[in-house]
Amino acid sequence: MFGSSFQPAIAAREAEGLHPRIITEGFEAAKIKALEVLEEVKVTKEMKRKVLLDVARTSLRTKVHAELADVLTEAVVDSVLAVRRPGYPIDLFMVEIMEMKHKLGTDTKLIQGLVLDHGARHPDMKKRVEDAFILICNVSLEYEKTEVSSGFFYKTAEEKEKLVKAERKFIEDRVQKIIDLKDKVCAQSNKGFVIINQKGIDPFSLDTLAKHGIVALRRAKRRNMERLSLACGGMAVNSFEDLTVDCLGHAGLVYEYTLGEEKFTFIEECVNPHSVTLLVRGPNKHTLTQIKDAIRDGLRAIKNAIEDGCMVPGAGAIEVAMAEALVTYKNSIKGRARLGVQAFADALLIIPKVLAQNAGYDPQETLVKVQAEHVESKQLVGIDLNTGEPMVAADAGVWDNYCVKKQLLHSCTVIATNILLVDEIMRAGMSSLKG
Amino acid sequence: MAGGAREVLTLQLGHFAGFVGAHWWNQQDAALGRATDAKESPGELCPDVLYRTGRTLHGQDTYTPRLILMDLKGSLSSLKEEGGLYRDKQLDAAIAWQGKLTTHKEELCPKNPYLQDFLSAEGVLSSDGVWRVKSIPNGKGSPPLTTATTPKPLIPTEASIRVWSDFLRVHLHPRSICMIQKYNHDGEAGRLEAFGQGESVLKEPKYQEELEDRLHFYVEECDYLQGFQILCDLHDGFSGVGAKAAELLQDEYSGRGIITWGLLPGPYHRGEAQRNIYRLLNTAFGLVHLTAHSSLVCPLSLGGSLGLRPEPPVNFPYLHYDATLPFHCSAILATALDTVTVPYRLCSSPVSMVHLADMLSFCGKKVVTAGATIPFPLAPGQSLPDSLMQFGGATPWTPLSACGEPSGTRCFAQSVVLRGIDRACHTSQLTPGTPPPSSLHACTTGEEVLAQYLQQQQPRVMSSSHLLLTPYRVAPPYPHLFSSCSPQGMVLDGSPKGAAVESIPVFGALCSSSSLHQTLEALARDLTKLDLRRWASFMDAGVEHDDEPSVFVQRSSMLQD
Repeated sequence: MFGSSFQPAIAAREAEGLHPRIITEGFEAAKIKALEVLEEVKVTKEMKRKVLLDVARTSLRTKVHAELADVLTEAVVDSVLAVRRPGYPIDLFMVEIMEMKHKLGTDTKLIQGLVLDHGARHPDMKKRVEDAFILICNVSLEYEKTEVSSGFFYKTAEEKEKLVKAERKFIEDRVQKIIDLKDKVCAQSNKGFVIINQKGIDPFSLDTLAKHGIVALRRAKRRNMERLSLACGGMAVNSFEDLTVDCLGHAGLVYEYTLGEEKFTFIEECVNPHSVTLLVRGPNKHTLTQIKDAIRDGLRAIKNAIEDGCMVPGAGAIEVAMAEALVTYKNSIKGRARLGVQAFADALLIIPKVLAQNAGYDPQETLVKVQAEHVESKQLVGIDLNTGEPMVAADAGVWDNYCVKKQLLHSCTVIATNILLVDEIMRAGMSSLKG
Repeated sequence: MAGGAREVLTLQLGHFAGFVGAHWWNQQDAALGRATDAKESPGELCPDVLYRTGRTLHGQDTYTPRLILMDLKGSLSSLKEEGGLYRDKQLDAAIAWQGKLTTHKEELCPKNPYLQDFLSAEGVLSSDGVWRVKSIPNGKGSPPLTTATTPKPLIPTEASIRVWSDFLRVHLHPRSICMIQKYNHDGEAGRLEAFGQGESVLKEPKYQEELEDRLHFYVEECDYLQGFQILCDLHDGFSGVGAKAAELLQDEYSGRGIITWGLLPGPYHRGEAQRNIYRLLNTAFGLVHLTAHSSLVCPLSLGGSLGLRPEPPVNFPYLHYDATLPFHCSAILATALDTVTVPYRLCSSPVSMVHLADMLSFCGKKVVTAGATIPFPLAPGQSLPDSLMQFGGATPWTPLSACGEPSGTRCFAQSVVLRGIDRACHTSQLTPGTPPPSSLHACTTGEEVLAQYLQQQQPRVMSSSHLLLTPYRVAPPYPHLFSSCSPQGMVLDGSPKGAAVESIPVFGALCSSSSLHQTLEALARDLTKLDLRRWASFMDAGVEHDDEPSVFVQRSSMLQD
């Protein structure tokens, strides 16, 4: 929006016969000045929970209605704080977003653990396990056709039977290793044992595991394997040789929830989980998608704030401040480039104008009020969308990301410049054809 | 394998694949409906291979295809993306906003009257907004199409059929339909035209995750997944989607069978140069990549050739169709497909997908051709040996892989299915004492007759044959293609008056043969003649390789050696 707002200004200037290069020089100068203003007004703070709540709320309230935004704000902030590990960049991928089509959007919550969208596939396996060891693995526990053509390896039905039995024994041995470990670590206690396998588990193996009181989930999604380790502790094993208690993770509670034909497994009460789940709830696909999109934007806003270590006041406040500074600055520019600076300043003001308009207020009138307030109070003043009046953005807790604003200034300048210069090149090309 | 059915997951990628798929599922549905009919032989084909049982949020049992399909924005017309089966009007309403409201209503697609009729025949939208299916007699599937109480269902006219959902009689699971919003089904711009575009669709995290999630949903519940069957359009960008999907499947589910059917709608005209070139490139790239990641690949088309120059479409002796109508072409291909896939869908002694692929991929050549005789020409009073004798030494089936006539080519291995012949006709009905006119007439079982015939026709070929009593059901909305057949599919002299054809016998085959060799060579030749710099737009759409013709020639020789 910022970039395209250059167009009318450009067109007007061109009509006056101004050479595009001079305009783009003006843009460049304006951009540098705007960036200076950005540096001056940014607020460096320790990114405590309270501050992050403000950042998240600002982002979420533009996407969903207020009541829902407030519910999501806490969930989103707490999820990022949970996955943050000192010394590592924040990996938002560790916040799983799971959707359940039921209840209301406001029932969306943060689970300090993981929610998997499948359950145990044996009727005798317990639906609720407390104080459970978790074995995370990627080992096939199902009879699979071998790659080689069957007719090559056996000639009679007996030989085939033998081959099948050998394959089965191979898998039965693997299952036995799990059972051995379970017996060892659970011994006399009431501790539970849950295995979550990325590969498949066939009905025979499920049966054997069920008989030994083990809950087994099969075909877990690849992207959940890393999350599981971070949530429960423990490591994903690729083979059952050297299985020890150190491989295992732990969860205080593992339970299954059925919704129609879908089963969900909740893995909660983990000690210090570094991967969490935002459980998105809503009555229909549209709501779920809306909430998921809002959450993703909110997560990014928080991550940006933490990584920048600073924020800038929102609600159009810095655009007003930058435009003001540019208008003053342009007087020190020699020649026609100052018209480029003016165009830049006008373009910046689109943001507060559109904010006002979308909130249902007259854009011009509102802008004038805000600009006057800014000049008088020397504070960063934006638009209060509830009243249409000026407000000090920082006091109201309305914040934008520093890095986003910075990036915008750079990229829009580049785009606008390129568009202008392309025209020039094309015109040059055409005139050479004529001449 | 003791225990349950060997499940198969079907993927339909593209619009023509949707047409073939719609006929395919209509056929499966027709077979389900007849399951209570005492006259029919007890299930030779196991529906659990292709279908899954489920349950709505209101505790209603459902039985829907284990299917994931991808198509473009605007291709659904009046079919809802989440289907009608799991609908709940109460869930549709939700308060999302407290302020002022302005309503902008999008113009609805004109409601397809056939779809509405189908929905009302199946179930009822009750006052609380929940859609409930009418009572199900055998606990599975839909009730028979016509009962004493329901009126004859509405049959769509051929002219009214624009998209595949216009004639689909089956309810799909909400997780089946995945729309690619990025490209348009219709219109001037934003079409999915190139292989590279298709590949990049599935490289995007959004669509990749969508596909992974849906795959996970269907696969996790399978106890004995045998594999995947992919129906994929080859003529447009969906060839790229198919290639990437096959790669994903091979990666994630190694050890399972992946059988890919590459579809080409046709007909093509010489005048449309760019379309033909794009089709050639998409087909070539598609085949090469699909072959790398599948257990078996078979092109399916009623056209005369895969190459640049369009050849006239194939002819069937007892079947008349309009090659310009996808509705007709897809019906014929679906009939063939339903027949040749029988081996891995049998109730007893099935041949698993992996086993079938192993058998047919002679020396690592994974591309096979398909052929079918639709209908199998059995005249009244004839026996199976009589019919087979009438073919003489010629190949009995019409080629369906756009590879030209099979005569003069070598076949290495084949899987043959003959279905729908009455048991009484399996063997010759000569009076005892008459000398048999051929060794076929001396056989005592139908299976023996068929095996003997294949042995005689092609002595050095490894043949696997299956004989089924279940015919192919020709229920509306299947088009009227058989003008000279009785209701049971017997071929008659002259056109019969009266009852419409209800079922037909079909003879189908999958062959690993050298006819494909020649076709691929011709394809490679056509490619080398192209100046690819002229078609830079095709390459720019994400295809990474340099020097394409030589890559293709190299890879196609891998296919042939």
